Amino acid sequence: MEDVLDEVVSSDDLKKFEQVYNDQLYKGEVTHKAQFEYAWCLVRSKYSADIRKGIILLEGLFQSDNAEGKRDYLYYLAIGNARIKEYSKALHYVRAFLQIEPGNQQVQHLETLIKKRMEKEGLIGIAMAGGAVLAIGGLVGLGLALAKGRSS
Amino acid sequence: MSAGPYNYSYIFKYIIIGDMGVGKSCLLHQFTEKKFMADCPHTIGVEFGTRIIDVSGQKIKLQIWDTAGQERFRAVTRSYYRGAAGALMVYDTTRRSTYNHLSSWLTDTRNLTNPSTVIFLIGNKCDLEAQRDVTYEEAKQFADENGLMFVEASARTGENVEEAFLETAKKIYQSIQDGRLDLNAAESGVQHKPAQPGRNTQLNDQQANKDSCAC
Repeated sequence: MEDVLDEVVSSDDLKKFEQVYNDQLYKGEVTHKAQFEYAWCLVRSKYSADIRKGIILLEGLFQSDNAEGKRDYLYYLAIGNARIKEYSKALHYVRAFLQIEPGNQQVQHLETLIKKRMEKEGLIGIAMAGGAVLAIGGLVGLGLALAKGRSS
Repeated sequence: MSAGPYNYSYIFKYIIIGDMGVGKSCLLHQFTEKKFMADCPHTIGVEFGTRIIDVSGQKIKLQIWDTAGQERFRAVTRSYYRGAAGALMVYDTTRRSTYNHLSSWLTDTRNLTNPSTVIFLIGNKCDLEAQRDVTYEEAKQFADENGLMFVEASARTGENVEEAFLETAKKIYQSIQDGRLDLNAAESGVQHKPAQPGRNTQLNDQQANKDSCAC
């Protein structure tokens, strides 16, 4: 539970808000509130299938709702996409938000978090490549040692 | 923040709650950045902040969840109360309605946290004396009657902000020392990070490194 990109919804909460949403869906009238609350839980799930579902629900809300909720949907669209490592999409939503509210610290903070993730995963890539070089180096070394052993 | 890896022995989880516009995010910002955030927009859902503090020579990492005050977030933000070791309950000294709602915030907190959770009442915006709408005495009485710690503070000037966060941590730490807070309980809101050699320590160092980055 380090930050907003790691924190995971409890399964009880997810079930609770899923129930409300499904009940309304069954009756044929889903309120924006129920859809948003369910989507907010979904994008905090540890399963990417849930997160993707949450993103679809938020996209739907963004299309249909008035101005008041739009900033909420953009924010959670950014979080959802970042959590499934769709970083460029996540940054797209962050930038769309910051065009409307340039000074928003919460969203600037999220942007920093996303960029740090990207950087960290880029570095991991380099570290893995470095590891491979070391492993190959080791094999060559071993080969040389074996050859040397044989010749002596 | 100074450079270099941090080591901490405990993690305390905090939540900040209260009506919209009372200055919850500004208090957090003042505490973590030592700056006043003017024109603070409404928080979306929850925001998160951390700071490492020192209590009785122990390094403690505070993980602070700052909840949105707007009603439409209420249902989901309730799930952040679970497992909080400290709850900062904020009202605005210049708006009586925010004070009148405290009992409902307190009920929520009591229902959703555990008996050892430290609840600290903060009357924010005490720098705006001319606009005062709630007296210190009545708020103090409310706090005493309900067994809450209490200060009036100002996120703008920084007055008592540090104190509120630190006093809460001291009280939690005291509960651990007295054995009143069970560290093994899943929802105590406290994690012990013993500084032992091996994998765990390494993990902590990595986390601590991450936190020491300027952000």
